[in-house]
Amino acid sequence: MELILAHHSSYPRIGDSADHQLLRRTIAQWEKGEKTDADLRAAEDRMTELALSDQIEAGLEIVTDGQVRWYDAISHLAGKLEGIRITGLLRFFDTNTYFRQPVVQGQIERTQPLVVGDFQFAKGKSSRPVKPVLTGPLTLARHSVEGDGRAGSLEQLIESYAAALTSEVSDLAAAGASLIQIDEPSLLKHPEDLPQVERSLEAFGAAKGSSQLMLAVYFGDPAPIYEKLQALPVDALCLDFTYSSSLVGIVSTQGSAKPLALGLVDGRNTRLEDPRTVAGQLEKIARRLGSARTWLSPSCGFEYLPRDRAQLKLKHLRTIREEFLGSAE
Amino acid sequence: MSREKLQKLGIDLPFFPTTSVGSFPKPDYLLKARGDFAKGKISREDLEEKSRQATEFWIRKQEELGVDVLVDGEMYRGDMVAYFAEQLRGFEEGGLVRSYGNRYYHKPIITGEVRWEAPITVGWWKYAQDLTEKPVKGMLTGPYTVMDWSFNEFYPGRRETCLALAKEIRREVEALIAAGAKIIQIDEPATSVRPEELQVAIEGLRAVTEGLSAYFITHICYGAFEFIYPGMLEMPVDNFDLEMSNSGLDMLELFKRHRFTKDISFGVVDVHSHVVEEDFVVEERLRQALDVLPKESIWVDPDCGLKTRTVEEATAKLQALVKVAKALRD
Repeated sequence: MELILAHHSSYPRIGDSADHQLLRRTIAQWEKGEKTDADLRAAEDRMTELALSDQIEAGLEIVTDGQVRWYDAISHLAGKLEGIRITGLLRFFDTNTYFRQPVVQGQIERTQPLVVGDFQFAKGKSSRPVKPVLTGPLTLARHSVEGDGRAGSLEQLIESYAAALTSEVSDLAAAGASLIQIDEPSLLKHPEDLPQVERSLEAFGAAKGSSQLMLAVYFGDPAPIYEKLQALPVDALCLDFTYSSSLVGIVSTQGSAKPLALGLVDGRNTRLEDPRTVAGQLEKIARRLGSARTWLSPSCGFEYLPRDRAQLKLKHLRTIREEFLGSAE
Repeated sequence: MSREKLQKLGIDLPFFPTTSVGSFPKPDYLLKARGDFAKGKISREDLEEKSRQATEFWIRKQEELGVDVLVDGEMYRGDMVAYFAEQLRGFEEGGLVRSYGNRYYHKPIITGEVRWEAPITVGWWKYAQDLTEKPVKGMLTGPYTVMDWSFNEFYPGRRETCLALAKEIRREVEALIAAGAKIIQIDEPATSVRPEELQVAIEGLRAVTEGLSAYFITHICYGAFEFIYPGMLEMPVDNFDLEMSNSGLDMLELFKRHRFTKDISFGVVDVHSHVVEEDFVVEERLRQALDVLPKESIWVDPDCGLKTRTVEEATAKLQALVKVAKALRD
């Protein structure tokens, strides 16, 4: 089994050193009118570069921009769309972090790129392939609310978001993204929404050109819908293994029709996994998947970790792979 | 039922007792002192002096407004989990993680066996209670929330962590009771986020309170109650302090379908809004509560801690709810 080290999505935008506090400081000063928009962009650029260099130095082969510009996984995308107003804070899944809720006020339309610019910047600064990440239409819709006097269905809302994101996928592909990740953590909470996710992925598939689409599900156990995930029109799946006691067993008995990103390293806890235990899980899976291309990844973004621990966990991915390759010899 | 329990504890409350969830805004001089202390510019004694001054300010303010069951306002706390993590053994302070926007906090890491070694809140509770004849609530964070809001590098799983914490937090409850606290609130705001773990939260709270003689309250917020109701009624407490106004009183619909069997501290003002509710808004919320809940079970308070409001906004919100509760009482 070829094992590629790939980051999941977000990365800490802060750390304990003064250098790592640049963005926090700049935002605080920008809010008081002491820094310009250009200053803020420059600080975001700098934190993006630091997120990239941490990943590259740790030996990751697929990196992300760390989403350091994102206020949160929902409003960063929804807030750039027409027809949406961003409002108060709500808790994001079981993370004890908060997102700003979009209120749908009119027809949703994408009149500007959402993350294409961020992707291009990161690509220009990285010696490794950069994977852009989009929050999927189901997760956006499930975290939005209809404004006064509107009574659209959830299904329509998912479709509207999907239409906007389809243009984004097309532009990301044109900008040179070889792998695009669509995050749908809400799918594990609402497996009944699978048909809508399937339709949106079909639309993305028609727009993706030669790039590959990866669907990422996390903050829950994918085991109960594993077979259904396999049937979705995407090129690869990224799975969170930390909520499930049965997923390793399922993958190693049923195999996988698609390349998998194995989220075996916990993005939500600072404890470093025992490399031998994870290597053992990888061996089990490898026996079934054979020579298939596979990614080793965190279970979710790393923004939930303090920076020092996030750095350790990135390096830990390589340690685990060495343990796996060593024991496989 | 719970009213009898209060009477047995020697506490006689009017209908619609008014109270607060816990935190109040810190006055400017205290915020400055906390900043100075962090930079090493002032001593711990100086900081505590300022915290006492602010606690006294809030006790006097609540008395002046006519609140029935007081809180110390948590002037000495930064964060509701980190504060306890700093005082219990077995924790380390982690690096900064983001809460939202440009807000960050040091999330604690459990690196060893957790152990209660000395009272944590008792000194503050006593200081506040000595200032007033009204009852002051003892205020703690519950084991499930401390577990969920910390990293864990020591215990094998979430349940084991929660139960280990429960055993130690119980010792703080015992110390509060020994000092004379009759009403103790154990906050569990994390309870609603993983409905499948409700039993773990219940088990934890049971280990904290079982067999102890006090009137227990728990505060839960951030919605998603539809997934844990009515199961949450099994929690071994007398009173649920719930955020009602922020969600447009949606929970009353759940109470209609399945009877709410405990006392309730009914949140009648939204803590996330700068706007102070007009009297008729508060009154309407209470009247809707009365349509569904027995009069003798209802306490009146804000949705959540008021610490993110200004001193003036917090005062005005408390004033509004006290005024309406008193008017309806008569």
